[in-house]
Amino acid sequence: MCARCLEVSRRSLMLGGGAVAAALHTGVANARIRPQDMVPLIGPGYRPTERDELGLWKEMERVEEEVAGSNLLITDPKLTEYLQNLIGTVGGPAAKDFRIYLARIPEFNAMMFPTGFAVVFSGLLLRMRDEAQLAGVIAHEAGHFLRRHMIRSWRDEKRKTDLFSIGAMLAGVGGAGAGVYLGDYVQLAQLGTILSLFSYSREMEAEADAMGIRSLAQAGYEPMAMSTIWQQLIGEEEASARYRGKHRRKGSLFDTHPSEGTRMADLKADALELTVPGKVYDRHRERYLSTIGPIRPMLLDDQVKLNDPGASQYLIETLAQDGWDGLLRFYEGEVWRLRNRPGDEPRAAQSYAAAVAYPDAPADAWRWHGIALMKQGRSGEAKAAFARYLKMKPDAPDAAWVRQMAG
Amino acid sequence: MRRTSLAVAITASLLSSACVQTRQYADVQFAPPSGDYKLLVLRPDVTVGSLTTGGMVEPRADWTEQARASITAALRAQQAARGGNVTIIEHRNQLTGVSEQELADIERLNFAVDQSIVDAKYNGNGLPTKRRRGLDWTLGADAVKLGQKTGYDYALFLHAEDAVASKGRVALGLIGLAGCFIGFCAPNVGGQQQLDYASLVDLRTGKVVWFNVVAAGSQVPGIKFGDLRSSEGAAQMVERLLGRMKPGRNVQQAEKR
Repeated sequence: MCARCLEVSRRSLMLGGGAVAAALHTGVANARIRPQDMVPLIGPGYRPTERDELGLWKEMERVEEEVAGSNLLITDPKLTEYLQNLIGTVGGPAAKDFRIYLARIPEFNAMMFPTGFAVVFSGLLLRMRDEAQLAGVIAHEAGHFLRRHMIRSWRDEKRKTDLFSIGAMLAGVGGAGAGVYLGDYVQLAQLGTILSLFSYSREMEAEADAMGIRSLAQAGYEPMAMSTIWQQLIGEEEASARYRGKHRRKGSLFDTHPSEGTRMADLKADALELTVPGKVYDRHRERYLSTIGPIRPMLLDDQVKLNDPGASQYLIETLAQDGWDGLLRFYEGEVWRLRNRPGDEPRAAQSYAAAVAYPDAPADAWRWHGIALMKQGRSGEAKAAFARYLKMKPDAPDAAWVRQMAG
Repeated sequence: MRRTSLAVAITASLLSSACVQTRQYADVQFAPPSGDYKLLVLRPDVTVGSLTTGGMVEPRADWTEQARASITAALRAQQAARGGNVTIIEHRNQLTGVSEQELADIERLNFAVDQSIVDAKYNGNGLPTKRRRGLDWTLGADAVKLGQKTGYDYALFLHAEDAVASKGRVALGLIGLAGCFIGFCAPNVGGQQQLDYASLVDLRTGKVVWFNVVAAGSQVPGIKFGDLRSSEGAAQMVERLLGRMKPGRNVQQAEKR
């Protein structure tokens, strides 16, 4: 804050900054938050009344207008209605107040905004194996709103930065008055402030998990579904890192979310606690798959084009644990073909050949199967595959070229 | 004694360190609109917040509403004085004959173009292809189509954000100021921060013909310069931002001859 301070003699003094740093480290919880302790803090039709929250809501009006009008949104009415119903099922008292938007972004993510609208990324729909898992993520997001996390974390941040600024200023002025330099303590306090902000954020995430799994179980979904999401995500990140010759990133003090391993373990313990023996829980796999069916090829296509073959392969194999089909086999082939390492070409050819054996093989599976056969010199079979492709997709942009190949 | 007088001198210089900067660019062929023109102002983006003790900006719904109303009124008055016919829309569904999606596309395109202008003209990442060519950016055919559909000559995009120092922030500055007398002088923790920018698009050609930024900030909390919430402050901002539109280089040279 001022250059001159450096000339003042450095005498240790447990004052100001250091004390502030210590004071800030209160209420940092690392213990598991139990679902039964999580009660919604708001009722239906919640509207803010306090000044800071009113301001936050005002600012969000324009954000929601921007999100609602974004050209990244998937606006298929059947899908949006499905998501809206889902958040209505696990949304507790605010069920009817939520709005939910689906954005075409091939990443694992979903977010809740302070005014009760959520954005779900299409990459999430690809990764979820059944409705129970998707409902778990949505219940987590709804939990942020029900527990008023945005305004609470805002107030926490405001309180801590206020305290830090006053503490730092008093340390500077007081220190100068006493003829000592407290700069080191001020820096310590600053680090303390920053760290406590992150840990507060982690605590909120843990709360949302606990709130979410409680809503999930209440709605009759299999509570264990939420823990398996993290198991899948860890597996995917490890596969992705392994392929790139790196290690999966482990948690640090600066994480805004608890580590995936912690979340998985806590949610598993929660699930065991919440499961009522003898009660039948649903996962609704069939209903989920038939709803996202029409966009699943697009979701897979977006994923394999991310150039992350480790993750893509892991994802496809995870989804295939519920049974292989023509679509998954085709995209397995695409992962190999696009990776293009030695030995990948025959691997891809095998996947395409396996794909076309299923009745639901996409047209492109026939196309690439044909090309693979052509390369192997099996032109007769290749022509049959091309003919099948053209029959399924007569208006394909490359129809003329394929026709020529088919001779 | 010597230390005290030095502190007073520093304080005096800091107190006057509140500054307002504005820098505008124009298309070389740009002549400021005058006479009977039709101007469309698309969703003025106004936010006013409170600068907390710790330096965060807390949005304030009531202040934002007040400021938006004051700015809208000031804009109407100022443009009317130039002979313009102004329409200000607040939501994307208020423009007849144009779908919300079309308007959203235009806004997003303009935002991207504005970012490019700021990057090249204000952040020092000048583009070699645009050197010495004035403001050379366009929204292209979509903007022309908007003009044809609606009959407007110009579209104005306006952004204004203001953070007013809270009592706590002012107090923090005062403690820092008090410290000047004992050798820890830090009144300059940062006070009011205002950022306004506007871009004018000629809907007959699609070009961004004029761009201006007003940045006003004070290092010392408690020093104010134009409060957007009041009608005088809003009028002052509109005047700073839009009042002194300069013609483009070619037009200026032609005028000199």
